[in-house]
Amino acid sequence: MITTDELQINIGPQHPSTHGVFRMLITVDGETVVNLEPVFGYLHRNHEQLAEVNTYLQNMPYTDRLDYFNSMANNHAYALAVEKLAGIEVPERAEYIRVLMVELTRILNHAGAVGFMINDMGAWQTPLAFGIREREKILDLFELVSGARMMCNYFRFGGVVRDLPDDFIPRLKKLMVAMPAYIDELERLLRENEILLARSEGIGILPREVAVSYGVTGPVLRGSGIAYDIRKAEPYSIYDRFDFDVPVGSVGDVYDRFLVRIEEMRQSRRILEQIIEQLPDASGGHINPKARQNVRPPVGDAYARIESPKGELGFYLVSDGSTKPYRYKVRAPSFINLTPLGDMCRGYKVADIVVILGSIDIVMGEVDR
Amino acid sequence: MSNDTLTHSLTFTEAPAALTVVVDPTPQIARGSAVVVERRRPKAAGWSLLQGLGVVVDHWRKSFRKLDDTTQIAGTFTTEYPEERLPLPEAYRNMPILLFDDATGHELCTSCFQCQRICPPQVIHMTQAKDPDTGKPVPAVSEFIIEYDACMSCGFCAEVCPFDAIKMDHNFELSTADHSSLTVHKTDLLRPISYYQSIAPTFWAEAEASAYKKLETNKKRRPATIGIAPQMLAQLKAAHELRDDQQEATMPTTAVASAPAPATSSAAPPARSAALAASASDLPTDKAARLAAIRARNEAKAAVQAAPATASAAPAASDGGDLPTDKAARLAAIRARNEAKKAAEQAAAAEAAPTLATPDMPPTDVQPAASEQAAPPAPTVPDASLDEKAARLAAIRARNEAKKADEQTAAAGAAPTLATPDVPPTDVPPATSEQAAPPAPAVPDAPLDEKAARLAAIRARNAAKKAAQAEGE
Repeated sequence: MITTDELQINIGPQHPSTHGVFRMLITVDGETVVNLEPVFGYLHRNHEQLAEVNTYLQNMPYTDRLDYFNSMANNHAYALAVEKLAGIEVPERAEYIRVLMVELTRILNHAGAVGFMINDMGAWQTPLAFGIREREKILDLFELVSGARMMCNYFRFGGVVRDLPDDFIPRLKKLMVAMPAYIDELERLLRENEILLARSEGIGILPREVAVSYGVTGPVLRGSGIAYDIRKAEPYSIYDRFDFDVPVGSVGDVYDRFLVRIEEMRQSRRILEQIIEQLPDASGGHINPKARQNVRPPVGDAYARIESPKGELGFYLVSDGSTKPYRYKVRAPSFINLTPLGDMCRGYKVADIVVILGSIDIVMGEVDR
Repeated sequence: MSNDTLTHSLTFTEAPAALTVVVDPTPQIARGSAVVVERRRPKAAGWSLLQGLGVVVDHWRKSFRKLDDTTQIAGTFTTEYPEERLPLPEAYRNMPILLFDDATGHELCTSCFQCQRICPPQVIHMTQAKDPDTGKPVPAVSEFIIEYDACMSCGFCAEVCPFDAIKMDHNFELSTADHSSLTVHKTDLLRPISYYQSIAPTFWAEAEASAYKKLETNKKRRPATIGIAPQMLAQLKAAHELRDDQQEATMPTTAVASAPAPATSSAAPPARSAALAASASDLPTDKAARLAAIRARNEAKAAVQAAPATASAAPAASDGGDLPTDKAARLAAIRARNEAKKAAEQAAAAEAAPTLATPDMPPTDVQPAASEQAAPPAPTVPDASLDEKAARLAAIRARNEAKKADEQTAAAGAAPTLATPDVPPTDVPPATSEQAAPPAPAVPDAPLDEKAARLAAIRARNAAKKAAQAEGE
């Protein structure tokens, strides 16, 4: 009889599947993963400590660099936290502009996430190019309003930095015309693809109990069959004004997470169409004129959270009454969603690890901070 | 971590069909519902692959068509950078720049330290100017440094500036092999207002009135020679001296401008009056003047394009035959650079002065002189012992220096040439005149003709540049 030994190997920390500097210490029995331990911290850059020596406003561009795919969503969560702490009102038009930007962010994030996940499966570049194409159009819109494609730094306490330019809404409407065709095409290309099914069906199953016990949020949690979306569970900003559904998966595998993301893009498009209809036409309504750049919130603490494209993104701030936060804590969805990676990979093959990692949709900038 | 500690470890080997739906039925969702995503299976073996292939082939088929409508998803939308460029939105921000008034050279910055304070990565450094007589601080800046290499382009400095003195530039082609050159000093940060207006017309239109008003107030509070853009100071001074010379030589009877110092305050009025004279067209006065300035600058740029080539043709000279090779080369480089600098300065001065003095003189008389001066004969015979590589390096350095100097002079030369807004640009080659035509960012839905023209202009310019470089080498 042949006896086998378990073998410990490293994946990373260089670039496991292009997701950044992340190391996985795995124990394998032949091709089967017996154990997996995620090791992070290679991209640590003192984000939270740095925030405590900056003023509240100075932290805004740093939040862009957390999850650099979704700078608008990061801005939103941070702005909400400071507004809660300092009691700043936001004009209605500004709220609509904010939600508009965050929903656009959700579409571009999911387009990228789906593309990169399939990249990880070995379909090098072609499906990703399909995802990136619409992302470019959205980034053009971001550049139009904020001046930057990725590091938008667009939100301010009490609103957004500048109103939408005149040609923004016409360009957005054009994009909305293209969007259904684009999502349908992406589905036609991938949804029933046998290779994708073979690589994703029944792979990386995260049972709902496990997902809940780890505090997983976002499409990963919804893929596991729990209809929990902060936009519905605890509506912030003006999300209670929009009709949209919460897609959930039925199995909790890689394929469900993929499907949930595709469906969320559709729902985001629905929200965007409602925003275009309802957007109040108040010139100068993009920012609260009373809001000051140098905020000095009263002593206290506040936690604000949003449903970022990756999950619950929260900022916890403690104020000592000065212009700088006394404590600044980020609850990053990528970080929390990455912790059950060991459980998701156990029992599957080595080749599945990268696919499962891709399906979580992480950005190391947010994981390590 | 052992297996036993995790009670929920999975060993999944069954087919996925055996799995059960685990949707939570409890949540009450307002304005929507929880939708279970449909897990589809392919209709037949291989069907989905054909379907996917169909999508790819469809795109291939449509890739021969240029996509110009963003409502479409198939087609080519490649931009042939750098020949073709997409128009940048006005809000686009890359690196901060400082502004100065075209006509008088006055910097808008008053060193209020707002930008230095807000800058998140703390890369802005400045010192306040002092009155040379009293030693008291005045609302002007004497040195201003931005570390471009650490700047995060957040745009806060431009947002907080109460004087609209610091703005975000659109130039993103900043790559360099010289890291230290990314610590940018005031002289290299300064741009004329007309430049900013050309990249962000509506933004500047909003800020214009208050910016000029504040500048006027601040000008009163600082001595005449403080807070002038250095490149403008040199140009205006030189212009003044030359103008006096010319007046003595050509028309001695009309000794009007008799007060030479301070250069700036006396140089400003002619420019202003010329601007007023340009109001023949239906454009507002200041706009017409600024447009003329932009045109003049472009013209000047085209005219001095020959200068870098000729300057670099001046071979690196060295008379110290017994010096070590690298030392000799360095010496040669320094000499060549100085020569180029001097030449460029002379060129700019020559260009600025006559146009300022004689508004009716066509620029054709000026520019040949300028380029002649910019290309002095090689100072010394090239030393045979000099390493060929070192010489080439020196030549490249000299050329770069000359280019930089020319760019500055071109920018600075814009204001003095204001005086001749009605002189048609006769000697400008067709490519450059086309180039001068669309200074403002293009309208997104611009007709194809205009686009093609712009493309042609860019191509012509690139070709000219290449030719000049070839000549230089």
